[in-house]
Amino acid sequence: MQLHVDFKSGTPVYLQLVDQIRNAAASGGLRAGEPLPGIRPLAEELRVNRNTVAKAYAELESQGVIENIQGKGCFLKEVSSPLTKSARNDLLMQEIDRAIVAAHHLQISDADLLTLVKKRLEVFEKKNKAANE
Amino acid sequence: MKTETPVIEIQNLVRRYGKHDAVNGLSLTVQPGKCYGFFGRNGAGKTTTIKCLLNLLRADFGSVRVFGFDPQRDEVAVKSRLAYVPDVVAFYPWMTVRDTLQYVASFRTNWNRDIENDLIKRFQLDQTKKTTSLSKGQRTQLALIGAICPEPELLVLDEPTSGLDPIVRREFIETVIGAYQSGDPGKRTVFVSTHLISEFEGLIDEFTIVEGGKNLLTMEADAARDRFKKIRARFSEIPKLDLSGALSVKQSGREVEILANGNSEELLAALKSHAPEELKIEALTLEEIFVASDVLKKVSL
Repeated sequence: MQLHVDFKSGTPVYLQLVDQIRNAAASGGLRAGEPLPGIRPLAEELRVNRNTVAKAYAELESQGVIENIQGKGCFLKEVSSPLTKSARNDLLMQEIDRAIVAAHHLQISDADLLTLVKKRLEVFEKKNKAANE
Repeated sequence: MKTETPVIEIQNLVRRYGKHDAVNGLSLTVQPGKCYGFFGRNGAGKTTTIKCLLNLLRADFGSVRVFGFDPQRDEVAVKSRLAYVPDVVAFYPWMTVRDTLQYVASFRTNWNRDIENDLIKRFQLDQTKKTTSLSKGQRTQLALIGAICPEPELLVLDEPTSGLDPIVRREFIETVIGAYQSGDPGKRTVFVSTHLISEFEGLIDEFTIVEGGKNLLTMEADAARDRFKKIRARFSEIPKLDLSGALSVKQSGREVEILANGNSEELLAALKSHAPEELKIEALTLEEIFVASDVLKKVSL
């Protein structure tokens, strides 16, 4: 899993890390039970404030994506969401809305957006397959 | 939430040299555990401000508090809890690296030997070498070791990486993050004045741009990158645009580049209504915000 920070994105740095780690988890770059980089080495490597990495990990923990095992570090959790299906749908809906708004700003048509979504699903499927082999 | 005593609290600081106002009404507050950037051009009043924090200079007006104390009245209480790395480091020329660290440690109640050993190894410093034979980079590394080993609650850095090569600069910043910040997060505060803003960007939680001895802009870094955006648009033929809300507008040919000040949505909408061929938006980095100081000066922030 390769993490990076882009100050030009305008997204708070800790959220960039949250997004990238969730992304890695969804695409098989990081598997359940695998450890995340330690806070200190990751902060040093990215040359970001240690608190920023700690904040990202705390956020991922509260989202139930990772677990912090005392003295051992953080690990990716098994995918088992405690939320009901409708609650999960609502959460995803917000993300989809964000993509729709972004598509509008970038002047991408609805049909193109749907095609893109299908393409991305295929990409993730492929990555997941490759990671499992 | 209980409000903690700020690590640094400067209110309306004024310091004159003769008729020249080096600092002229500066105010800022640094909360515990934060990394605070202090940016300004040469002569903006940065070093004078830092010297007032350290009681190397006295304020003419206004107040300076460090850990809630007046650095002038309670010098020991303040200085025992902080460490300072200036841009030009001076050591006693007859001392070796080892002697120097021992000498510095002798003034401190706490000295972390593990950190000392780690850093000497990391920087590959020869402890038997006389300080006069050290390169500028090595002198700064030695000063950094001397500043971090006492595990101070406040680390004051004044242009710490200017004049150093990129590798030493990188190691310097990694050391501040790794060796210094790895302690109790509430007791690790950094106050750094620098021109090399992009190198410290990831560390900075909050910053002040100082101009002519006064605050020009004080903001949280994330909030600043959210507020100041650069928008570029290209049209097939340049339309008549109303971009009066922009901080600045640059036009070259069929392209316009504008700076948004918290109003990027409006400006985007205005551009979009003219069906641009291409439209791009990105956040300004802290360095770009600093470079835009001249533009910022003209608007009320």
